[in-house]
Amino acid sequence: MFDHGQPSYAEVNKDVLSVMLETGPRYWMLLGGTMSVAGICFFMPWIYQLFVGVGAAGMNRNAVWGSYLSNFIFWIGLSHSGTLLSAVLHITNSQWRKSIYRSAEAMTLFSLMTAVLFVMVHLGRVWYVHWSFPIPNQMGLWPNFRSPLMFDVMAITTYLIASSIFIYMGSVPDFAAVRDASTGLRRRLYTVFSFGWRGTAREWHTLGWAYTFFAVFVIPLAVSVHSIVSWDFALSVVPGLHHTIFAPYFVCGAIFSGTAGIITVMYCLRKFLNFERYIGQEHLDNLGKLLIVLSMIWSYINILELFGSWYGGTSFELEALKFKLTGFYAPLYWEMILFCAFVPLLLFFKKIRLSWNKMLVISILINIGMLSERFIIVATSQARKFLPDAFGFYFPSWIEISITVGSFAIFATLFLIFIKWVPAISIYEVKETLKPLRRNA
Amino acid sequence: MAIVGTFAYEEDFLTAAENLKASGFDNISLLSPVPLHEAQAVLGLGKSPVRRFSLAGAIIGALSGFAMAVATALVFILPTGGRAIITVPPYLIITYEMTILTGVLFTLIGFHVVSDLPAWRNRPYLPSANIDRFVVIVENAVDSEAARAETIIREAGALEIQHMEDSE
Repeated sequence: MFDHGQPSYAEVNKDVLSVMLETGPRYWMLLGGTMSVAGICFFMPWIYQLFVGVGAAGMNRNAVWGSYLSNFIFWIGLSHSGTLLSAVLHITNSQWRKSIYRSAEAMTLFSLMTAVLFVMVHLGRVWYVHWSFPIPNQMGLWPNFRSPLMFDVMAITTYLIASSIFIYMGSVPDFAAVRDASTGLRRRLYTVFSFGWRGTAREWHTLGWAYTFFAVFVIPLAVSVHSIVSWDFALSVVPGLHHTIFAPYFVCGAIFSGTAGIITVMYCLRKFLNFERYIGQEHLDNLGKLLIVLSMIWSYINILELFGSWYGGTSFELEALKFKLTGFYAPLYWEMILFCAFVPLLLFFKKIRLSWNKMLVISILINIGMLSERFIIVATSQARKFLPDAFGFYFPSWIEISITVGSFAIFATLFLIFIKWVPAISIYEVKETLKPLRRNA
Repeated sequence: MAIVGTFAYEEDFLTAAENLKASGFDNISLLSPVPLHEAQAVLGLGKSPVRRFSLAGAIIGALSGFAMAVATALVFILPTGGRAIITVPPYLIITYEMTILTGVLFTLIGFHVVSDLPAWRNRPYLPSANIDRFVVIVENAVDSEAARAETIIREAGALEIQHMEDSE
C-alpha cells in the first residue's frame, strides 16, 4: 500500500498534522484565489439575478429547467462516491480505503453543499425556501409530501446530516491528536471537537459499533438520494424523462462521476499536500478498476434507455430520441458517450491505471462527460415536449455559465478550508494498516 | 491516585491488562493509538448497547415520518384529481428517509451515552497514547493496591510508571 516504505506511527501523526498546523503563503494565495473566483463568478451574478429575477437566466417558457438543475444533479452525483464508497469499503473491511476515505467523505459533504446552493439559485425567491420544510409559516402552508421535490428535500437534508455526522465521528480520534499537538486557542477548540477523547478500549469499541451502524444507514440512504433525484424527472410524463430505468441510471452515473472525482481529489492531495507516501498506486489501480466496471454498467443503461424509447414506439418518445441523437444538443450527447463510455476503456491497460497524470486526465474527462449528461437530460427533454408549439431551445446565459464556473471555486474553497481544520487522512486508520507495534513484528 | 503505565509493545500492554484484571482490578482503562480487539476482550466488551439506540431511532423515525406526512396532508388538504388525501406509496419514501435520519441521530446519541463522552473533566491521560504508546491506567488505587498494581505493570514490561490525580 505504501509506495515509499512504511512510515512509523509517529511519522503518520507528524505528516498528517503538519498539513494542518503549518501554513505557507502558497495556501493563502490559493485560498484567496478560489474565494475571489467564487465571489465574482458565483455570488455576484446570483445577487444580480436576485435583483432582476430568474429571467436573467436563459430559461424560457418551454425550457423551464436549465443549467441550475443540471448542475444540481451533477453536484449531487459527485457527492455519491465519497460517503457511499467509504461506507461499503468499511463494511467489507477493505484496507486500501483507509488513507483515502476522509477526503472522499469531505468531497461528498462539499458537493452536497454546492448542490444545495444550486437549488437556492434555481428557486428565484430564495427567501421562501423554508416553505419546503414541514414547519409553520406565515401562509399556513404545509408541504405536499406527494411531490418528488419534497422527496428531494427530505432525502438531501437527511444525506447532508448523515454525511456530516459520518465524517465527524470518524474524525474524533484524530481531533484528539490535533488537540495534543497544538497549543492555545486551537488546543481549546480541538478539546471541544474531540469530546475529551482518550482512546480507551471502551471508546474504540463504541466508536467501532456506532461507525458501522452509520455505514449501514448511509449505504441505502445514498442509493435512495439519487433515485429520488431521478424521480424529479422520471415521475413527470415528459418524453425522454418518463423512464423506469432512471433511478439505477442516476445512481450508477452518480457513483461513476463520484469515483472519478475522488481520483481528481486524490491527485491534488498527493501532489500539493505531499501525501505520496499514503496515497499510492494501489489506490489508483483499485479506483481505476472500479471506473471500468461503472463505465460499463453506465453504458449498458444508456443503451437500454435508447432501446426503451425506440421499442416503445410512441411518436413523442421517438421524436425526443431523434432530437437527442441528431438534434441541436447532439454534439454534447456524443461527447458524453466518448468521454464516459469509450475513454474509460483505456483503463483496461494497467500501465494507464498506474499513471497519475493519465488517470487525472481520464477522471476530468469523465466528469466533463457527466456534466454534459446532466445537461442533456434537462435540456433535450424540455426542448421537445409533445407538440411543436411546445418545442423550444435553451442555452445557458452568461450568468448561468458564470455561476457554473463559480461553483467549482466554491467546492475548492470549502476543500481548502477543510484541510486546515480536519486531518485530510485518517491518522488512526492508516496506523491500522501498518505493522502492529509488537516485538516480533 | 491513578497508576499510569506506558508500554511500547502491544503484547506487554495486553499482558499487564490481563494480569491486572485477573488480580481483581476492575477500575482500569486501556489506552491505545489504534483500536485493539484484544484489549476490548480483556475488559469483556461484547456487543455494544449502541445498536439498541440505532434500532429505537429507526423505529421512532419510521413512525414519526409516516405520521408527519399524514398530518401535513390533513392540516393542509390538497385534493388532486380525485385521489386520496392520504396516499401511502409516496409517504413510504418520507418514512424511509426519516427512518434513516432518526436512526443516525439516535446512533450518535448512543455513542455519547455509551462511551461517556463528551468528558470535559480532567482524567488521567498521556498524549503519547494517541501516537505510538499503549497506556494502562489503574484508577482509584489505595496504597496497598497501588503498590500491587505497579508491580504487575512493571513485570509486564512497562517503559515508565507515573502517578496521576484521579478523574475529577
